[in-house]
Amino acid sequence: MPERRWETGAWVVGLAVNRAGTHAAAALGDGTVRLLDLADPDGGPRALPVHAGACLTVAPDLDDRGFLTGGDDGRLCRIVPGSSGDAAVEPLAEVKGRWIEHVDAEPQAGLRAFAAGRQVTLLDRAGRPACDPLDHPSTVGGLAFAPKGKRLAVAHYGGVSLWWTKAPEAPVLLDWKGSHLGVLWHPAGTHVMTAMQEAELHGWRLKDKAHMRMSGYAAKVRSFAWAARGRWLATAGAEEVVCWPFFGGGPWDKAPLELPGPGSAVITAVAPHPTDPVLAAGRDDGMIFVTPLDGTAPLPLAGRGGSAVSALAWTGNGRSLLAGTEDGRLSWITPAR
Amino acid sequence: MTAIPVTVLTGYLGAGKTTLLNRILSEPHGKRYAVIVNEFGEIGIDNDLVVGADEEVFEMNNGCICCTVRGDLIRIIGGLIKRKGDLDGILIETTGLADPAPVAQTFFVDPDVAERTRLDGVVTVVDSRHVTQRLEDSHEALEQVAFADVILLNKTDLVDAGELASVEARLRSLNPFARIVRTERCAAPLDAVLGIGGFDLKRVLEMEPDFLTEADHEHDQSVTSVSLREERPLDPVRFDRWFRTLIQTRGTDLLRYKGILAFSGASRPTVVQGVHMLADSGNTLSWREGQSRASRFVLIGRDLDAEALAAGFAACAAS
Repeated sequence: MPERRWETGAWVVGLAVNRAGTHAAAALGDGTVRLLDLADPDGGPRALPVHAGACLTVAPDLDDRGFLTGGDDGRLCRIVPGSSGDAAVEPLAEVKGRWIEHVDAEPQAGLRAFAAGRQVTLLDRAGRPACDPLDHPSTVGGLAFAPKGKRLAVAHYGGVSLWWTKAPEAPVLLDWKGSHLGVLWHPAGTHVMTAMQEAELHGWRLKDKAHMRMSGYAAKVRSFAWAARGRWLATAGAEEVVCWPFFGGGPWDKAPLELPGPGSAVITAVAPHPTDPVLAAGRDDGMIFVTPLDGTAPLPLAGRGGSAVSALAWTGNGRSLLAGTEDGRLSWITPAR
Repeated sequence: MTAIPVTVLTGYLGAGKTTLLNRILSEPHGKRYAVIVNEFGEIGIDNDLVVGADEEVFEMNNGCICCTVRGDLIRIIGGLIKRKGDLDGILIETTGLADPAPVAQTFFVDPDVAERTRLDGVVTVVDSRHVTQRLEDSHEALEQVAFADVILLNKTDLVDAGELASVEARLRSLNPFARIVRTERCAAPLDAVLGIGGFDLKRVLEMEPDFLTEADHEHDQSVTSVSLREERPLDPVRFDRWFRTLIQTRGTDLLRYKGILAFSGASRPTVVQGVHMLADSGNTLSWREGQSRASRFVLIGRDLDAEALAAGFAACAAS
């Protein structure tokens, strides 16, 4: 069973696997979530109506089983897969007239965060607001909890606001001119990286706020993630998977690894394997491949054809890869090992 | 994926933008429009999509102060294209005080927006009775007129024929590109407002070669239009050098420009258009039967030196 695929007919906006690794959820542009039971290789995705309009984001919730989704109906929902193939959808919050495009959850701190316009709201385990809403100078472009959840990074125009989640009073601003559209913490909590409106990345080393600026991409960097426990930052946006070294004094004055795929097309999504030194990447021609970090030959998992790969996610054990495209192809791939 | 047409509605406070929007949305056209307004819930329309937006204008990282774009627009269009089903169009209602340039530039600058949408046109609603005064006291009103592909000269019932003709001449002197449609209560036919292809290189660009220049000198105005014409074919290298220098040095003051250019050795005309420093060109048109193969170039901007522009343009002629 190398690949099973379904045509959903709607843009696959995001993919997430729950913390227990039992289910995957695909957020779709038609407002539904497709839930896959990963213990049932013969089953198909089950469609749950969740949002009016489009589903704009999905993430694993705090607990082992659940997912969080946000939509352009202004609702934040929790989805809990049931034991007999059913599932519950529980609304957690609603902000009228706003889109909920960014969510994150951090189990150790017991907090969820979602953005609506310029405000970020923190919710506790019971779903109650943990503090007053956090205000930002412009619409939030991305948010992420630091490892263990003591801090929250919120990207916006002009930089990133870093909040202490226990006492969110005045944030520390990491400033850099321009619009920041996504944010990522280093797994050791030492660096914060953003993807920008321009085809480049920006980042800061927190101990001294040293800047890093990575440019030269062909397209906006829509997808970036840490590989090999934070040694490499793997990025989309070029015709190769560009990996920046975060060891031995890097990424300053160090050239990135450039891992080419089979043939040429712009990479639109990257997903480092959770345990092995390989990465999965998807391209704007629909092709999906895995490539080892040692630079040996890439292996195609799904051929080109169709539209751009818009979402990729490995299961926690690394045995399955989930992929989605803009025109609605949803794939469950089990690479041979 | 086909590009979604986008129409920008602009106009000073009280000119009648919301009346026009309601008129467009309530016509039985069977189409599905997303409407982006600055204040959510400002208008309530069943079965249509209304999205609230902030006023986020930002400079691109290239440091050029005139290359500003609307961040909220990029974000909202990014969200809208993920929805299932094709939208027939997107209508953007700007606030009465907004400068339309960052809206128009967004369609040139952001690759996702440029790929998935096309700016069909800028429709500016003006109040026949008050627009002359607004043009004197408001920089934004001038820019809105300068940017228009269509000007709805509204509330014509409130002024007499002589006043209307003089207002129209004034608008024409500011913006010779725009088609002027006289309306009462914004009662314009939809095809005068939507699907006009005003900003679209793929559609035949109708220029107005005989725009009115009278009465220009009566106003101490900083925004003007300059229309250039050259009967001889142009040298592409000379034109490129002249035009690059022009937009680099005067980009901030150039609000809009459009041209149909006949280059020596080319069988088809080249269309150039742009906003500030951001120019776009293509040669997707053919000369029409019987059309003069002269090059025409019209610029709208602040403090334009008509003589210097005419000399520069004439010097682009192939020797």
